[in-house]
Amino acid sequence: MKRSLPKAVIGLFAMILAVGILCINHSAWADAIRVGWTADMPGVGATFYDSQKKALDLFFEETNAAGGVLGQKLELIIRDSKLKPDVGATVARELILSEKCEFLIGPTSSGVALAVTKVAKEFNKIVYFHTSNTEKLTTTDYQPYMFQVVPNTGIEGRGIAMFIAKSPYKRVSFIGPDYAYGHTQWESFQEYLKKLKPDVEILKAVWPKQGETNFAPYIPALMAESPEVIYTNLWGGNLSSFIKQAKPYGLFKKASITSLYDLDLLRATGMDMPEGLLGYARCAFYAVDTNEMNTFVKKYFDKYKEWPSDWACMAYDGMLALTTAIKKANSAKSEDVVKVLPGLQWASLRGSRYIRDIDHQADVGIYVGYTKKDPRYKDFLILDRVVEVPAADVWMPAEEVQKLQPKD
Amino acid sequence: MTIGFLFFVLINGLSEGMVLFIVASGLSLVFGVLRVINFAHGSLYMIGAFLAFSLSTLLNMDSLFSFLLLMILIPPAIALLGLGLEIPLFRRIYGKEHLLQLLLTYAVLLILDDLCRVVWGGEIRNVSRPEMLGGSIDFFGQYLPTYNIFILVMGPLIAFGLWYLLHRTRAGNLIRAAVSHPDMLGALGVNVARVMTGTFMLGCFLAGLGGVFMSALANIDLGIGMQKIIECFAVVVIGGLGSIGGALLGSLIIGVGIAFIQLPLSRLAIVFPYIVMALILIIRPWGLFGKPER
Repeated sequence: MKRSLPKAVIGLFAMILAVGILCINHSAWADAIRVGWTADMPGVGATFYDSQKKALDLFFEETNAAGGVLGQKLELIIRDSKLKPDVGATVARELILSEKCEFLIGPTSSGVALAVTKVAKEFNKIVYFHTSNTEKLTTTDYQPYMFQVVPNTGIEGRGIAMFIAKSPYKRVSFIGPDYAYGHTQWESFQEYLKKLKPDVEILKAVWPKQGETNFAPYIPALMAESPEVIYTNLWGGNLSSFIKQAKPYGLFKKASITSLYDLDLLRATGMDMPEGLLGYARCAFYAVDTNEMNTFVKKYFDKYKEWPSDWACMAYDGMLALTTAIKKANSAKSEDVVKVLPGLQWASLRGSRYIRDIDHQADVGIYVGYTKKDPRYKDFLILDRVVEVPAADVWMPAEEVQKLQPKD
Repeated sequence: MTIGFLFFVLINGLSEGMVLFIVASGLSLVFGVLRVINFAHGSLYMIGAFLAFSLSTLLNMDSLFSFLLLMILIPPAIALLGLGLEIPLFRRIYGKEHLLQLLLTYAVLLILDDLCRVVWGGEIRNVSRPEMLGGSIDFFGQYLPTYNIFILVMGPLIAFGLWYLLHRTRAGNLIRAAVSHPDMLGALGVNVARVMTGTFMLGCFLAGLGGVFMSALANIDLGIGMQKIIECFAVVVIGGLGSIGGALLGSLIIGVGIAFIQLPLSRLAIVFPYIVMALILIIRPWGLFGKPER
């Protein structure tokens, strides 16, 4: 028995070596296009990550099953950027340098996205953003090796203001966490709204502290001036619980609370969501009726037995745009593909869309509608009477973009 | 602004104050008897809220009965957790210098908060209100959530229960005697250590009970413990350290004050408790119902 031990050890090492060589071979597959994803996996990023990954897995599987792109296999390599900008920059470098990724997929957090876009610029590798949507990415922090397939914060803010301006609502109020960014958002929103609708009445805003979990003390203050629309930058879990807490106060019998009603929020709020609230989505699968979307939704639902969130649709859509660009450039090198990005047209899930040349923002608008129960979806409400506010109506004019973009 | 609306704001503020009282009375009681400011009190409250979340998802019931079950089961569980902390840790710092007490209770706070992170994670949770308490009643043209009324009824009951326990039972007599004459109590052959442990557990019980009430009132996340201990601290400074009546008054001042102060200016709500606390410290440093330290 004792004699066989060295043999076993040698055997084990041989096996490790063999597996190792196989792995090296595998990762050095000459004709694979490697796409690296800096994904925000933990904490509040978890639900986003889950649906983004499902959509990307679906895309990579079906593309490879259909023979890949330019005859090459697509490979997805994922690193956790942990919602932290410095970690995002590190893993983006690692993806480019050690994993030899030619393209990058962006994270969920805007802070991380701003760090990742710098790395992409440094190495001249294309990155696309699908969930993180700060307008800085296309203005002050713009770099040409980047494109955005999500409506950015400017399109969102001005889009919903434009919609409210056209609606009969007159009395507008705000609730949001008391910190600098919240104040800036409210100020630019009311400024834009006043321009579009001079007779709008801007009411007193209500400012709970950042991270407040108990909104009850703030609700009567909000109701005191009987607003018709309450604009808010609360989102996700916080918005969901605000709605649940405010509902028994009868707030929504008199007013609408208007914010981002993405699918995750609608699912989290469930049947507690009141009907008839005005809200918007970045990419609502149920509001888009194209062949591409319908096929995608069917495949997604068949595979995962759930509906694709906004984040899933947009992560998938970005890959559609990227592969279209690769085919058009007839090259899998970022340096060649970047040349076809300005003005690139692709068959998006949201219909035919293009990438604006000046800032690489796709012409994707927001979907505005009113919450409603729908017999097809048992556990959540959807937006009804949805209209897309076209990006071209509300995105930042080219001259202004140019003024903000870095000059070098 | 009609009278009806002002009443509505008042009742809303009172119900917020009641939850604050339940938690703060525990903190005050522990200080009164043990002379320790337990910074981990907020964490125990948070664990109570998280336990309420876990148990309610486990039971998967939204009847009033199941909510009462939470109210009956969770506070003793937190009291037992308190026992587990008191024997090895807290017991050793009674009568020691303040810095040492601060270090220990703050360390326990950090440990408990991180344990919560490991067990429940960083997501925002909430407990759905029992069906009977989920709606609202018509109140002079305003909707008032039934759950707030429920708290408004339960709060005084708990306050009365606490008063009865402290003033009309033997255990209460011992606790009060431990506050005023600890040495005499020992000389009379009472096991003072046991009285102290019992008081500490009662304080934890109240933290857990507050957690259960809060779990269906607002959301639960990892920040609520820290947030509540700061509020409670303001309450006991205002009301007087060690005074249960003071905790009641302090809680109501803060609850109602926050509700009204933001009608003219919303941003004042955040600083309101600290302004009151600062004023009290200037005018009457021992608090409204407290006694000056000799």
